[in-house]
Amino acid sequence: MSTRLARIVTTLFVLAVVLLPIYWLVSTSLKSNREITQEGTLYPHVPTLDNYVRLFTEKQFGSYLTNSLVVTFFSVAIALVVGAMGAYAIVRFRLPFAMEGKVGLFLLTLRIIPPVVILIPVYLLMLSLGLLDTWLGLIATYTAFNVTFCVWMMESFFREIPVDLEEAAMVDGDSRFGAFRRITLPLAAPGLAATAIFAVLVTFNEFLFALALTATPRAMTMPRGTATLIGRIDTDWASMAAAGVIGALPIVFFALLVQRHLVRGLTMGAVK
Amino acid sequence: MQGAAQARKYRLQGAGLDLALPYLMLAPGLMIVLGVLVYPLWDGLRASTRAYRYGSPISDVGLQNYVHLWSDTQFLNALWITVKFVALSVSFEAVLGFALALFCLREFRGIRLLRTVLIIPMVITPVVVAIVFRLIYASDAGMLTALSEAIGGGEAQILGNPLNAFIGLVVLDVWEWTPLMFLILLAGLQSLPHEPFEAARVDGAGAWRVFADLTFPMMRPVLAVAIVLRTIDAFGTFDQVFVLTRGGPGEATRLISIYGYDTAFKFQQTGYAAALFVTIGLVVLALAFSAIRLLRRIDAS
Repeated sequence: MSTRLARIVTTLFVLAVVLLPIYWLVSTSLKSNREITQEGTLYPHVPTLDNYVRLFTEKQFGSYLTNSLVVTFFSVAIALVVGAMGAYAIVRFRLPFAMEGKVGLFLLTLRIIPPVVILIPVYLLMLSLGLLDTWLGLIATYTAFNVTFCVWMMESFFREIPVDLEEAAMVDGDSRFGAFRRITLPLAAPGLAATAIFAVLVTFNEFLFALALTATPRAMTMPRGTATLIGRIDTDWASMAAAGVIGALPIVFFALLVQRHLVRGLTMGAVK
Repeated sequence: MQGAAQARKYRLQGAGLDLALPYLMLAPGLMIVLGVLVYPLWDGLRASTRAYRYGSPISDVGLQNYVHLWSDTQFLNALWITVKFVALSVSFEAVLGFALALFCLREFRGIRLLRTVLIIPMVITPVVVAIVFRLIYASDAGMLTALSEAIGGGEAQILGNPLNAFIGLVVLDVWEWTPLMFLILLAGLQSLPHEPFEAARVDGAGAWRVFADLTFPMMRPVLAVAIVLRTIDAFGTFDQVFVLTRGGPGEATRLISIYGYDTAFKFQQTGYAAALFVTIGLVVLALAFSAIRLLRRIDAS
């Protein structure tokens, strides 16, 4: 009986620790700046949606969200296609020169290096290509990061699919690529989904490169745009909180929707 | 086995257009990676040996930027703060995550809710996490101040005080990333074999004995992987600090990534900043590869 009580108490405590900060964000977003700084209330006494309206009418939050969606969609989609093909080639073909067995390690090494390391040269590259503050510059950068990740993930998924199935299809007259597209790819669909989910999470949340590579609402992503609301002399706490809520909402919703894949994908690589 | 798979791989190669297929399939990915990651890496190495003015290279200085780093007290201080931050955060996350995972190992009512809620902190955009904690710590508008005033105290001083700001940053990181530790360790615990534990129960071993003699030794590789992953990531922490404190007050929370960013984009010392980042990259790579070697040795024994 007492272990059960301890369990309930612990569960409630953990939930409170996780949820209290989120409660504070949401509740602050529903207060006026006056109520926030002068009254210091624990819940919104006069709830208002003004902060949200202001974000979209005065602070161009709509374009930040659009930019985020466009950039995330294209960089993840391109990386998935290109990464799946590359991973397949690594797993199933004999590669030329010294590439056999090395491409995977090479990409893994690139993944381990902290992104800050290439921040400056990528900035200089985009500057010289005239791609600063454009969708294309961000998409190119994020696609490159996502490709290393997709190849690495998809490699392990393809390895688990028996080669006999493709051989059977080829005996039946399918081409090599046809066998890949019609047999292997559908079998690897759960792996593709898990990979896509991670790529979306990481890309949607990325801040550092967005900070260096964008400067106006033309290309600023949501995290980047949110950061511009901060750091003025008078902090507009209410807008900041509302921006936080809107920034967190889509990705949390997405994550909860795909929860099962998320946990599986997260832990698979680590436990193996 | 290996040989048979290899032979089969070659046979699959086919003829005609199929012969070119591996190249065609690899090419797009490799080209993007070479263009946007590898070329910049190489360019970064070159930039790190130059002096810049107004964003343009003016002269080759060889390894001088690298040498200079080790007499730059601001760099050394930032490095020291980063090491402290990573060590503290990751240790707390490992201990809390492990405890939570052990706690959740048996199914009980509410565990699914708990797991669902625990996903939230790690998927929320880091910039938003930082906003959340600013709204908690702020002296005039924060939750801590509101709570303190509700019970008759004064304003909470967190972000204005060097030690408190640093602790506040660690708390943020622990809140955000303990769930990841928890999920990895829980998956590890669930994949442990049952037999040794049943045998221990038959022998009447106590909970502590089971943990010390069975659970912990068997979990060591998983724990090591989780710690390595978090350590590598924590070294690159930038977003949260940039939004929460911008490195302040003073230099109290100025992690290496913030110092590097300011050096490059605020003070326009492009070459010097490139050398700084290359150094950090080498440190993290060395860390990662020695961890992989260590894990292989654990696996082998």
